[in-house]
Amino acid sequence: MAQLIGGLGTSHVPSIGAAIDKGLRDTPDWKPFFDGYIPGQDWVKAHKPDVAVVIFNDHGNSFFLDKVPTFAVGCAEEYHPVDEGWGPRAIPPFKGAVDFSWHFIDTLIENRFDPMICQEIEVDHGIQVPMELFWDRPAEWPVRVVPIFVNVIQYPIPLPSRCYEMGRVLRQAIESYPTDERFVVLGTGGLSHQLQGARAGFVNPQADQAFLNDIATDPDKLAGMSREQYVEMFGSEGAELMMWLVMRGAMDRDVVVRHKHYFVPASMTGAGMIVMENKATASPAVAA
Amino acid sequence: MEEKPGQDRIPDTPLFDRKRSLGGYRINKMAMGLSRPENREAFKQDESTYLDRFGLTPEEKEAVMTRNWREMVRLGGNLFFILKISAVDPVRITEIGAHQAGMEHDDFLRNRLGKKV
Repeated sequence: MAQLIGGLGTSHVPSIGAAIDKGLRDTPDWKPFFDGYIPGQDWVKAHKPDVAVVIFNDHGNSFFLDKVPTFAVGCAEEYHPVDEGWGPRAIPPFKGAVDFSWHFIDTLIENRFDPMICQEIEVDHGIQVPMELFWDRPAEWPVRVVPIFVNVIQYPIPLPSRCYEMGRVLRQAIESYPTDERFVVLGTGGLSHQLQGARAGFVNPQADQAFLNDIATDPDKLAGMSREQYVEMFGSEGAELMMWLVMRGAMDRDVVVRHKHYFVPASMTGAGMIVMENKATASPAVAA
Repeated sequence: MEEKPGQDRIPDTPLFDRKRSLGGYRINKMAMGLSRPENREAFKQDESTYLDRFGLTPEEKEAVMTRNWREMVRLGGNLFFILKISAVDPVRITEIGAHQAGMEHDDFLRNRLGKKV
C-alpha cells in the first residue's frame, strides 16, 4: 500500500512568488526568509515523495462568488497556473495524480465528506508558492499533485475540526491505495495576517510561534478552536491557517519535527514552515 | 449596505459574510473580470465604461475610481478580488493596508508589520 512519509506546512504568500520571479531571492529583505526553507528542500530531496497532496484555498482566481465549494478536490491530468491579473506565471504545469484523486474522492464520500469534483481547473499561488518553496523551480515537477481547495473566504467557512477530520480520511485513502507510492501532505496558508478593515496589517508573531509548536504537539487543541478564535488570533485572512489541520489530521498523534522556520513579515504576513514525520515510522535523522 | 458601528464581532475586522458578499457582488465581479487581459485593456482605455458593464452604483463607482480601498471594502469589496485593480493600476498591498488602517505608509510598516524603515 501507499505510505505517508511526511507532513509539511508552509505559508503561501503571493509576494514570495513575485520575489522569485523578480530575482529578489538574495536581497536583504528576502534572503533570511528563503534560506530558512533550505532544510525543507533538503528533506524533500532526500525523501523523494511521488505524490504531494496540497491543501490550500483559491483566492478568487479559479472560483468566483457565483459558485463556492466548501471543499473541492482536483482530479485533472494537469493543473496550469491561472491568470491572477498579471498574466499566468511562467512555471511548469503540475501533473495530477488522477487515479489517487478519484480514490480519495471515493473515500471521502464513503466517510460522509461530499467535495466538489474538479476535472479541469487552473491553480493560483495557493499551491504554486508552497511547491516552489519545497521543490524550488525545476524545469518539470518531480512529483504529482492532488489539490484540495478549501473555502476560507466566503462565510460560512468550514470548522477547524472539520478540516482535521478530513485529514483522517485522507490518511485512510493513502493507506488503502494499492501502490507503493510515497506521499507527502502539505498544509498551506497563514500564518497571521489581515488584509482588510482598519485592523489591516495585524500580525501576531507570538501566536504564530505557539501554533508552530502546537501543530506538532497539541493538534487537538487547534482543532477545537472556533473560527472566531482563529480570526481574532491570526487575523481575518490568517484564519486560513486551519487548513494545516487537514495535513495534521492525516498524521499520527505522535510526530517528530524535522525542521521549523518562522519569518515576519513576508509582505504583510507572519510566514512559517514545518516538516514533520510520524514518530512510529520516522526515518533515521538526516545529518544536518 | 450600511455598516453599523459595532457590527463586527471582532473589532475592525470585516468578515466576508452573506451581507457583505451580497452587497459587494458587483464590485467583486467587476474586479474578477480583470483576470482577463481584454478586460484589463478595457479598464485602462475607459474605466468608467468598463465599470458600467457591471452595473456599479454611483457610490461604488466613485469608490473604485478614487481608489478608495477602505470604502470599497466597506461596500463589500473583498480584497482578493479588488486587489486585481492593482494589476492594472499598480499600488503595493502595504499601501492598501495603510489606507484602510488610516496610517502613513512608513508608520504602517513600522507599527503594524514591525519593519525597520
